[in-house]
Amino acid sequence: MVIRRKRRTFHRRKVCRFCVDGELRIDYKDPKTLRYFVTERGKIVPRRISGNCAKHQRELTLAIKRARQIALLPFTTVQTI
Amino acid sequence: MRKYETFFIVDPDLPDEVNAVIDEKIKNVVSSNGGSVLDYSPWGKKKLAYPVQKRNRGHYVLMEYAGGPELVAELERNMRLDERILKFITVKLEDRFDPEKEAARRAAASPTAFTEEEGGKPLPIAGATEDADEEEVEDEEREEGENEEE
Repeated sequence: MVIRRKRRTFHRRKVCRFCVDGELRIDYKDPKTLRYFVTERGKIVPRRISGNCAKHQRELTLAIKRARQIALLPFTTVQTI
Repeated sequence: MRKYETFFIVDPDLPDEVNAVIDEKIKNVVSSNGGSVLDYSPWGKKKLAYPVQKRNRGHYVLMEYAGGPELVAELERNMRLDERILKFITVKLEDRFDPEKEAARRAAASPTAFTEEEGGKPLPIAGATEDADEEEVEDEEREEGENEEE
């Protein structure tokens, strides 16, 4: 017996927080802000999760990669030798 | 003339005198290659996100300057040769350096700096799964939910 369930439309509308908050700047020297957009492993959180707009995601990606270069953010937190 | 900034990490275990020598040396390289240092601000010692040359801490310094591309090459060559400098990154801020605009900006802005020993350490790993991956699965479930059996 297959009962068709109504799909739960219960997702929050995701908004780009850089578009909403004009004060918030994307800067590779500011790991505190960037840290919100990387996972515990240090991966960059995808746009479909974080809700960023394309423009800001691009800037953010660049900033995170720069921050990694200068050791402000980790490339990974799980080191395998 | 372009505007650049170089953010670099100096060996944290050096005494203040040696740090002063490095500062002087870096500024000298810029000025002797036709550039001008706009801002030179030490950001203090901070924990590194990963060890660099077997060191877990680093003394971060941010320098803004105006100059040509040859200057950047020369500066980076010098930094590479200097063993006291662990890492550096140079970013171009403006293609055309405008001294008037710079003066106006300088008057308005106030520099921000790190607080000592903050947020450098990555968060502890809770389980093997990524939270991003989990959320992804959730999304898929929601979409397939229509065809699911009760």
